[in-house]
Amino acid sequence: MDPIPVLQAVPADPASVVRVASSTPLPPEFAGQLETRDWAFVAENWHFLALGTAVTVLLTATSLALGFLLGFPAGTVEFYGDGWLQAVVSTVGVFLRGTPIVVLIVLFAFGLPIPRIGTVPVLEVRLSNFLVAILALGLRSAAYQAQVFRGAIASVGEGQMRAARAVGMTEMSAIRHVVFPQAVRRSIPGFQNEFTIVLKDTSIAFAIGIAELLTQATRLYLRPGRDTAVTEVVLTISAVYFVLTFGTNRTLDYLDEAYAVPGEGSG
Amino acid sequence: MSLLRVEDVHKSYGDERVLEDVSFAMDPGDVEVVIGPSGSGKSTLLQCINRLTEVDDGEIHLDGEEIHRMDENELRRRVGMVFQEFNLFAHRTARGNVTLGLTEVLGMGKREARERADDYLSRVGLANQADSYPAELSGGQKQRVGIARALAMDPELILFDEPTSALDPELVGEVLSVMADLAEGGMTMLCVTHEMGFARSAASTLTFLDDGRIVERGPPEDLFERPERDRTRAFLGRLTDVHGGT
Repeated sequence: MDPIPVLQAVPADPASVVRVASSTPLPPEFAGQLETRDWAFVAENWHFLALGTAVTVLLTATSLALGFLLGFPAGTVEFYGDGWLQAVVSTVGVFLRGTPIVVLIVLFAFGLPIPRIGTVPVLEVRLSNFLVAILALGLRSAAYQAQVFRGAIASVGEGQMRAARAVGMTEMSAIRHVVFPQAVRRSIPGFQNEFTIVLKDTSIAFAIGIAELLTQATRLYLRPGRDTAVTEVVLTISAVYFVLTFGTNRTLDYLDEAYAVPGEGSG
Repeated sequence: MSLLRVEDVHKSYGDERVLEDVSFAMDPGDVEVVIGPSGSGKSTLLQCINRLTEVDDGEIHLDGEEIHRMDENELRRRVGMVFQEFNLFAHRTARGNVTLGLTEVLGMGKREARERADDYLSRVGLANQADSYPAELSGGQKQRVGIARALAMDPELILFDEPTSALDPELVGEVLSVMADLAEGGMTMLCVTHEMGFARSAASTLTFLDDGRIVERGPPEDLFERPERDRTRAFLGRLTDVHGGT
């Protein structure tokens, strides 16, 4: 039986794809070729991407901070708490971890009564949208950071608490002076993961038009006649994301070693 | 008046009876050694006395005061504990292990606590290890820090929960000699241990606990030489084979 004509349009083997790519003239939509003039275009507009980088960094820092402020107590409650408080905290955590971040951000953007007033100066971001992004990224991060801290507290070992109680320390005092100092050190590797995830996920704010790095990049290559620069622009912002994650992770590695307990391995 | 009086103490975990009708008393300066097979309730007995575990029934009096009518932290300040697994605070130096209770529980100033810690560390032979972290110390050194930590709180009684059981054999001696010095110095000590040499030389009373009950109790030489019960004889025979009785 003869093949159906439509199916014939799909290349039968990978070799033919290569042949097509190398020998036939490129369709105008294909902008994969790196060109000097496109790199020059990126260089000319560096400040445009720098602004996006600033928004990305600001979004990451505020979301992580919110995540820490809520996640640290939440992890403590999940480990030590009981009754309704613990049930509420762990249920909210399950919900936040089980919902895709794009769904959260869209849900918050349209489902929360945040007044649409004001813009963040210089960055030209609408304040309400910025709050939505921080709230979605921050709450989701809190749910994950809570697990990082809960696990770190659990790893400290019951004997430490027993020894502290045995000299007459209250449970609060034992948590503060014996368990937390050890748990915080042990949570650094988990926190590194969380940092990397939040930084990269700020690109989700693209969905509500915040001028973070990916949004700025998109605005750049969508300028009239600049669609050929898409690869150059995206490669550039990839490099920026990489430098940010790599640099910060190295710094946290350093902290991990600097604060390691002598005689014990770091991490 | 007895320093410690344990009366008709019962304790179960679920259906399992761990302590049954346990009664005994200790005077100040007594060194009581408790022996018994594993699972006989020895550790539980110690934990009932500083309320790391609560009894189901019975009374325990410290210096005439029923411990369940006391604030638990006040009780623990007065009754020290040394653990089998040391349980040193892993993030603090040897000195830091000793000072924490002094500053947080006794409300002592940092400087005074530091001086007191160094004093007690030198008493257990660790003057030069004050700045070392637990992970940098040998097992015997860790346990001596554990003893200094308990001692520095100036307790009326110290509970020792198998203090040498987690140690390599060559490190047992240094810990036992610190304990013998304490006994000599008049410290009231309740020790769960299998070290028969220590029991013979330092104990004022030896108690054999089996299946949650006190089987036999008396001066160590009586139990070693003339045990009244067959179970005591059999257990001491097995123990002496392993740990040495002389």
